[in-house]
Amino acid sequence: MSDNPPAPPLGQSDKVVQVDNLSKKYGDNVAVNDISFNLTKGEVFAFLGPNGAGKTTTVEILECLRNPTGGQARVLGYDVSKRSDQAEIRKRIGVLPQDFNAIDRLTVRENINYFGAMFKHQLDADKLIELVDLKDKRDEQFKKLSGGLKQRVGLAVSLVNDPDVVFLDEPTTGLDPRARRDVWGVIERLKGQGKTVFLTTHYMDEAEYLADIVSIIDRGQIIASGTPDQLIDTHGGKKTLIIRDAGQEGIRQLPLGLPKAELRNAGDIAIPLNNGELTNILMSLAQTPLHDKEIEVRRPTLDDVFLNLTGRRVSEEGN
Amino acid sequence: MRSRIYTIISGHFKSWYRSKSNIFWTIAFPLLLIVLFGAIFGSGSTKFDLYLQNQDLSGNVPTPLSQGYVNVLNQTGAFNLHMVAAEQPDPLTFVKNDAQLHNRGQRLLVVPLGFNATVMSGDNATIKLFMDQSDQASASLRGIVDSVTVSYAAKIAGAPDHLFVQPVGIVTRNVRYIDFFIPGVIGMTLLTTGVFGAVNTNGRYRELKIIKKLATTPLSKIEWILGMVGYQMILATISLVVILFFGYAIFGVTVTIDIYTVGLVVAAALLFPGIGMVLANFVREAESADAAANAITFPMMFLAGTFWPRETLPDIMKVIANFMPLTYVNDGLRDALIYAQPAQALNNAIIALSLAAFFIILGSLLMNWKEE
Ligand SMILES: Nc1ncnc2c1ncn2[C@@H]1O[C@H](COP(=O)(O)OP(=O)(O)OP(=O)(O)O)[C@@H](O)[C@H]1O
Ligand SMILES: [Mg+2]
Repeated sequence: MSDNPPAPPLGQSDKVVQVDNLSKKYGDNVAVNDISFNLTKGEVFAFLGPNGAGKTTTVEILECLRNPTGGQARVLGYDVSKRSDQAEIRKRIGVLPQDFNAIDRLTVRENINYFGAMFKHQLDADKLIELVDLKDKRDEQFKKLSGGLKQRVGLAVSLVNDPDVVFLDEPTTGLDPRARRDVWGVIERLKGQGKTVFLTTHYMDEAEYLADIVSIIDRGQIIASGTPDQLIDTHGGKKTLIIRDAGQEGIRQLPLGLPKAELRNAGDIAIPLNNGELTNILMSLAQTPLHDKEIEVRRPTLDDVFLNLTGRRVSEEGN
Repeated sequence: MRSRIYTIISGHFKSWYRSKSNIFWTIAFPLLLIVLFGAIFGSGSTKFDLYLQNQDLSGNVPTPLSQGYVNVLNQTGAFNLHMVAAEQPDPLTFVKNDAQLHNRGQRLLVVPLGFNATVMSGDNATIKLFMDQSDQASASLRGIVDSVTVSYAAKIAGAPDHLFVQPVGIVTRNVRYIDFFIPGVIGMTLLTTGVFGAVNTNGRYRELKIIKKLATTPLSKIEWILGMVGYQMILATISLVVILFFGYAIFGVTVTIDIYTVGLVVAAALLFPGIGMVLANFVREAESADAAANAITFPMMFLAGTFWPRETLPDIMKVIANFMPLTYVNDGLRDALIYAQPAQALNNAIIALSLAAFFIILGSLLMNWKEE
């Protein structure tokens, strides 16, 4: 290899992010263990995993904030380990660090322009403010905003250089459900604009809702990848029939031959469904006092995928 | 494209003036101190302050004739006599510092060793009176001392011309306590805004992930540091101007602003943020860094002669004061602004600039721009 090969230009069909056998060790602790994946232009990619899985380490390697200890990674065709390439990457990526806060005493607009000024070209602050729905908070100081609004400022700031790829590290952690939905809305808009988004999260529903492709990372290793549907089909297990609010009494009222029925949450009965069983079960239920209960067929979720792959569940807090 | 450094400076500056507590600590608090200390130490007395050193001891007790002379001076009621210990080897320097501290006139009368014996033997004895010719009180004070001395001589020896008062001119530059205090307040303000400013913009901004975010943009670490230093220079200039203006308006403190003043302010605007950066990198948690900054700035403030002359400190403290960077900023500012001593101001400015270079470079090297 020559010393300074010209940075490979990124064609339309090329991979926006290319990770090959990437590793990162801190002493004996292997934070990222030989992972590989790709991101295609226009895709929303979710890196899904519990606390300490290695999400931030991976993202920050791609953002040229940390050096890998093994393997390779390219962003927009540039090598993250090469100094001259790093400068090119920095111009072209948008970053929302985990737990990011903008500058307390600058207004929303001033913050956007502050971070925008670090780049040669920046998008119009008002357009970004519109995109993240902060029009009436435009001149409010950052510190006066609620958590959800702060996070939307972070999103606007991460887009200020009109990046080719956006890295969002846990953009909704700690937000209430309503604020989380709002952030999802912004990410959906980005997707609508054709932006490539790399999202990390420990919320299964978030990945399922937003992502085109999900990679599940656990203890530094990718344990499954694919579209949410593929993952659920492959690893999600059976569908479940739920009889709402039936309680202990409902169990006794069940028709015979449903041995696997179990009581969940606030008295819901859950019955695992094998293919083709549904009609029979419903018919036999119709004969019991349970027929007027609310009955629902639940498809497995990424929660079930994670549970099946690791034997653990991820809590609200990500542990 | 606006310059990145300009953006950083203006961001810091906006954050500064939008915070009431920042305004208080950098502007209101120093002014409050000036008023307070000026009021406490600035009250004059209708009597003449006169320092007196009686060197004529015999077995630790003043000789009868020397003591008699002191008593007569005292009885005139014209003086506030301040006794200087006979062992004091350099009474003039002592008086200079002590007078400044208490806002008294710098006047010293020395009764020499052997005064009693000389008078008894009928020889002429000489008493030295050190005072500044430009001292407004000098003429009347001299007159009183002279007449007391003549009458005392007539009483004890029957010969008025046996005792002489020899006036010795000294240049006191009329430095009052408040004149001494103002440069100290400037030094103190530069110290605290510098150290705490750097701890905030490097420690806290790290916790808030602002630095991490900036490191993913084309901004470089050098630009970030230049921005911070530029902001500190502006703040230092504002402090200097406000404090000097206030000192002049309320207490009539006049100063000389020269190239050394500028050099010292530049040095301070590098030195103290440099110290703050070093701190913020050793103590990673912003809150602990803040505590560490307090632990460093407060003792430094007292030891470096902000509020009173270092000469009044115990010896061991004097030694420690020599290791305090603020000492050189304070001394230099006093030499430049008040004493008009360019050579000494230059010396102190050079030391301060060297320390500044050391700390800002160390702080920059220690600072992790990226992770790890
Ligand atoms: N700078 C560091 N030095 C040493 N170990 C580190 C460092 N950063 C991360 N680690 C370790 O690497 C592992 C992965 O951490 P990482 O922050 O990448 O996880 P994460 O998936 O982002 O978790 P979270 O959901 O908590 O943000 C953890 O065991 C962590 O303790
Ligand atoms: Mg993380």
